[in-house]
Amino acid sequence: MSMLEIKNISKSFRDGSEENHVLSGLSLSVESGEIVAVLGPSGSGKSTFLSIAGLLLSADSGEVFIGGKEVSKLPKSKWTRYRKEHIGFIFQSHQLLPYLNSADQLTLFQDKKNVSKVDAMELLKELDVDSCKKKYPAKMSGGEKQRVAIARAFVNDPEIILADEPTASLDAKRGRVVVQMIRDEVKKRGKVAVVVTHDERILDLMDKVYRLENGRLTEISNS
Amino acid sequence: MKHAWKELLHGKRKYILIEILLILLMFMVLFLSGLAEGLGRAVIAGIDTMDAKYFLLDDEAEELITVSSLDEEILETVKAQTSSDVVPLDIQRMYLIKDGDTEKLNITYFAVEPGSFIEPAVAEGKRLCEVANEADADGRYPVVLDDDFMLEGISLGDTVYDSSTLLPFYVAGFAKDQMYGHVSIGFISTETYTKLREELSPMYTKKYHALAIQDEDIEKISVEGTELVAKADIISNIPSYTAEHLTITMIVWVLIIVSAVIIGIFHYILTLQKRKQFGVMKALGMSTGELTVTVICQVAILSVFAGAVALGLTFGMAAGLPEKMPFYLRFDNALVVTGVFIVISILSSILSIVNISRIDPITAIGGGEE
Ligand SMILES: Nc1ncnc2c1ncn2[C@@H]1O[C@H](COP(=O)(O)OP(=O)(O)O)[C@@H](O)[C@H]1O
Ligand SMILES: [Mg+2]
Repeated sequence: MSMLEIKNISKSFRDGSEENHVLSGLSLSVESGEIVAVLGPSGSGKSTFLSIAGLLLSADSGEVFIGGKEVSKLPKSKWTRYRKEHIGFIFQSHQLLPYLNSADQLTLFQDKKNVSKVDAMELLKELDVDSCKKKYPAKMSGGEKQRVAIARAFVNDPEIILADEPTASLDAKRGRVVVQMIRDEVKKRGKVAVVVTHDERILDLMDKVYRLENGRLTEISNS
Repeated sequence: MKHAWKELLHGKRKYILIEILLILLMFMVLFLSGLAEGLGRAVIAGIDTMDAKYFLLDDEAEELITVSSLDEEILETVKAQTSSDVVPLDIQRMYLIKDGDTEKLNITYFAVEPGSFIEPAVAEGKRLCEVANEADADGRYPVVLDDDFMLEGISLGDTVYDSSTLLPFYVAGFAKDQMYGHVSIGFISTETYTKLREELSPMYTKKYHALAIQDEDIEKISVEGTELVAKADIISNIPSYTAEHLTITMIVWVLIIVSAVIIGIFHYILTLQKRKQFGVMKALGMSTGELTVTVICQVAILSVFAGAVALGLTFGMAAGLPEKMPFYLRFDNALVVTGVFIVISILSSILSIVNISRIDPITAIGGGEE
């Protein structure tokens, strides 16, 4: 059974008098330990798709299963809690809080019950930002910040990691390192990662690559 | 809670500026309420500090002691009707002149029976009941003055004269905080007062302005042509007191509210600046409730600290104020004002909380416009 299973999602936005059909019957299934990329031009609906998978937005129709549970049925009041426990987000720009040092970026978002499961300081070490523990975002490079943000995504031991253009604010070399790290963590911890990206140079690090076109995903061969 | 504190620490510079503003606002409110209370004291202190619960006045006096007039026998009648202590009180506004001077000083005589419960304690010198209640060898009668007269250069043992009768007094003692209708009080005995009135008009027949009743046993008190008035009503009927007090109290409260609104707006602006940040926190699984706690903690920390500093400043400043300045602030009243201020500033952050609750966590994802 797939860890993340998205079935037949449709979503449209009202744009004045017109309906803007962004997603129409999109389906995707990702197994544990897999990292997949979703490509597509700007405005094709990648963020919309990620928001629906991440319980930030409801679809007009279709279902989302995480770990076999139909989360698209959960009432909105349970979403926040569910996101905290089961979904790790990596945003386009790091989105670290300016007033926390790297250690606090992780520990202040970690649920108490996960403290024994995931060692936040170990995560920082694995992402090679050990030296930034006491540093605030303003004193760190773009790559360091994004790596702390990745560590934060893993801190509550989520089943799935959703990354929206995680390399957009980095140069090619650093971007690649960062994606490599996401990949390593996913493999090591048996998670699922969906990475929305423009960046064709990182596709060789992906298990599968999809293109978002006409509101659906099609797998493209990964050479 | 941790978020609240760490954010304050990290943004020290910004928050210290806000803190200074808070301290100044609170100080202003406290200081003004001290002045307001001080002005009020100058009107009512003489009556307010009296250990009396009720006053018996003639029923045409409209609750004003100075225009009331009671026959002498009524004192005995009322004494027989209650187990409470009953003593006479006369209030007379006159002028005083210092020995060897021509300047008239305002004085309000409070005529009391020496040793009665409405006779004030003295800060210096002797009480009326501690000195002979008659003219001394130089024909001078004892008077206990409000200590503001000290600022006029009058000291213990000095001779002063009533300006219209030239009746001489010697200053037996000074009492603190004894004012009535913005005028400092001089306590004399009822006997001395009678003497004074006789000097003014030989036809004078002894009457009392009012009787002060110490306790609650008043059910059986009933004398034709008189009425019993509670102390609070006497106070609020002192000419101009209610109007003045109301005006100043209004100013203080308006200031408290305006300051609280300013603080609310400040926190609201901070919240608007942090919308993106709150969106991210929500996406990462922090509930509106947790964010609300964070904001309220911050407002509470800032305003409690400001309150403490403002209290310190106010009382420090009060200690250094010139004696003549009518500043009067009791610590418990200051605490109440500060407490109200803190509560209102916390309430004013509701505006921010409503704003936070409306932030959609989806703003964290997508464009990342920064
Ligand atoms: N809240 C919204 N209201 C209206 N239209 C929206 C909204 N969010 C996204 N869209 C539209 O949906 C389309 C897809 O947006 P998005 O998912 O952000 O694309 P991408 O991430 O691939 O650039 C765009 O045309 C955008 O204008
Ligand atoms: Mg996007």
